[in-house]
Amino acid sequence: MTSEHPFEVLTNAHVTKDIWCMTCHTPVAAQIEPGQFVNIAVPGDASHILRIPLSFSAADAQRQTLELVYAVVGEGTSRLSAMRPGEVSTMVGPCGRGWWLPKKSGRALLVAGGVGLPPVVACARMLARSGVGFDAIVGSQTSDRHVEFLLDELRNMPPEQGCDCARKVVVTTDDGTRGIHGFPTDAMAGLMADHPYVQVYTCGPLGLMGGVARIARKRNVACQTSLERMMGCGFGACSCCNVELVSGEYALCCKDGPVFDAEEVAW
Amino acid sequence: MVTKSNVGMDVDLGGIAMRNPVNTASGTFGNGRQFEGFYDVGSTLGAITCKGVAAEPWKGNPVPRIAELGGSAILNSVGLQNPGVKEFVRQYGTYLQGLRDKGCAVICQVAGHSVEEYVRAMDLFEELAPFASGFEINISCPNIAAGGAAMGATPQSAAGVMRAVRGHTKRPVVVKMAPRDVAEIGRALESEGADALALINTIPGMSIDVRTRRSKVCRPTAGVSGPAIHAIAVRMVWECAQAVGIPICGIGGISTVDDAAEMILAGATAVSVGTANLYDPTVAARIVRGLEQWASEQGVSHVRELIGAFEC
Repeated sequence: MTSEHPFEVLTNAHVTKDIWCMTCHTPVAAQIEPGQFVNIAVPGDASHILRIPLSFSAADAQRQTLELVYAVVGEGTSRLSAMRPGEVSTMVGPCGRGWWLPKKSGRALLVAGGVGLPPVVACARMLARSGVGFDAIVGSQTSDRHVEFLLDELRNMPPEQGCDCARKVVVTTDDGTRGIHGFPTDAMAGLMADHPYVQVYTCGPLGLMGGVARIARKRNVACQTSLERMMGCGFGACSCCNVELVSGEYALCCKDGPVFDAEEVAW
Repeated sequence: MVTKSNVGMDVDLGGIAMRNPVNTASGTFGNGRQFEGFYDVGSTLGAITCKGVAAEPWKGNPVPRIAELGGSAILNSVGLQNPGVKEFVRQYGTYLQGLRDKGCAVICQVAGHSVEEYVRAMDLFEELAPFASGFEINISCPNIAAGGAAMGATPQSAAGVMRAVRGHTKRPVVVKMAPRDVAEIGRALESEGADALALINTIPGMSIDVRTRRSKVCRPTAGVSGPAIHAIAVRMVWECAQAVGIPICGIGGISTVDDAAEMILAGATAVSVGTANLYDPTVAARIVRGLEQWASEQGVSHVRELIGAFEC
C-alpha cells in the first residue's frame, strides 16, 4: 500500500552530462516492485511544493536501499542533486503498477532511451530473477550520455537457464558517436528478425515509445510501456496525470500505470 | 504525542455533524481510500468531501492538467473527470459507508453543466447514496466549458442552482463558492436555503511557457491553489462570515495547523485541507491533532468558542 517513508541519502554522485545517481536507505525498498516509482519530497525550497516522481534502477529489500538514476532537468531535480549523504527527507511509495512478466514463455526485448533506462534495468533484473532471457537496445543522444554502469549491469546479469544464446546489448546514439547511428527503433528490426521475442518492454521519450509500440504491434509482439506525466500526488488522489487510452477513456499514470500495455494507449 | 485535552472539538456544518473541524477539499483527496495507507481516514477526520460527480460520466480535460508555479502555488485544470453517480457509488459506496460507521462525515460533491444536470445528479445521489451525510454543490469549478464557475458567477445564477436542488434532498446542502463577491453571493445562497457555504475554490489564473508560448496546462486559464492563496481565502471567509448566518467551511491554501486556526478565527466552522494533501499526504491528520492543541492553548472549553473570534 502506498505510504510515506523516510529516506536517508547514502550517496548522490554525478555520473555523466546531466545525469546523477542517488542511493538511499529507505524501508520502501522492501516493498517496491520493478517499474513502480516513488514521489520524493526534495528539501531546499518550500515554494516549490510538489514532490518529484522517480522510478528506480535497483532496490535491495534486505539492506533497504534504493538506487535512483535521474537527469537534472529542472528546479526540482537540481535540488535533488544537491542533497548530500546523511540528509533525510520522505518519499511516498510504492506508487503505481510496475512491469509484469511475459504472459508467454520466451525471450524479451528491452528498449530504453535516455533516462528511460533505469526502470528498464529494474525490469531486466526482474526477468533475470525469473529466468526469462532478454536482449536490450539502449539509446542516448550522444556517446557520453550513456550510463556506463547500467549498461554493464544489463550485460552482466545472470543468463537464463538452459539457453546458450548470448545476450545482446545494442547501443545507439542519435548523433552516431557510439554504436548504431540512429534511434533505438532503428536497431529493433534487425534484432526482431533474428529472435522470436514474446514481449517488448520500453521506457524513454514519448516519441520513441510510440515508435517501439508500433513496431511491436506490427510484429504481433506484446509491448509494455512505462509512461511519464507531470504529477500531483502520485497515488490517484488528484486525477492530474491522465493518459488517454484507445477506448477513449482516461487512465491515471500514477495509479493505473506508469506501466501500461502499449496496445491500450492512444499514441 | 499530544496529550489528550478536554477541549470539545465537534462542530455542526449546517446539519453535517463533524467530530472535529477538519474536512478535505474536493478533488484533492480522491475519495478517501487513496489515503488509507497514510492514516486511518475514518477514525481521524471530521469529514471528507468526495471528488465532484455528475449524473453521467465526464471525461475531463486533456493533458497536461497540472503545473508547478513556484511561489507555493500550482495550477490545475482537471475538468471534473468523474465516472457518473452510478459508477461512483458502485466503486466507493461500501468504503464511504465504512467511513460513516467510523464517525467520519461523508460529503458528496455534485457537479453539472446546467441547472437540470445538477438536479439530475442530486436525484441520483439521493436515491443511490445513503452513505452521504450531505452534499456539496460545485458552482465554482473554473475548468469546465459550461456550468461550474459560470453558475456561481452572479448572485442570481448561484441562487438559481440552489433553488433548483433544494427541493430534491432533505440532507444538508453546502455550496462550494468561487473566489468572487462572496458576501453578496453567500447571502443569495443562504436565502435559497443553503445549509452551509464552502469557500474558496481555486483562483482563476494563467501560466505561459515562454519558450513554446503555450499554456503550461491544457487550457489558457486554470485554477491556482496552494499556500500562496491562503491569505486571500482567509479574507474572503471573513467577509462572507460577516454577511451570512449559516456556517462556513474555510478552504484555500491550508497546509499547517496555524492556517486552519486562522480560518476558524476568521469565521469558519470547519476547514478543508486541499492542495497540501497532494504533497504532504498526512497533513490533514496532523492538523486534526494540532487544532485540538491550539484550542487547548487558547483556554477554551470548546473549539466553537473560537469561530469568528478574530479581534480586529
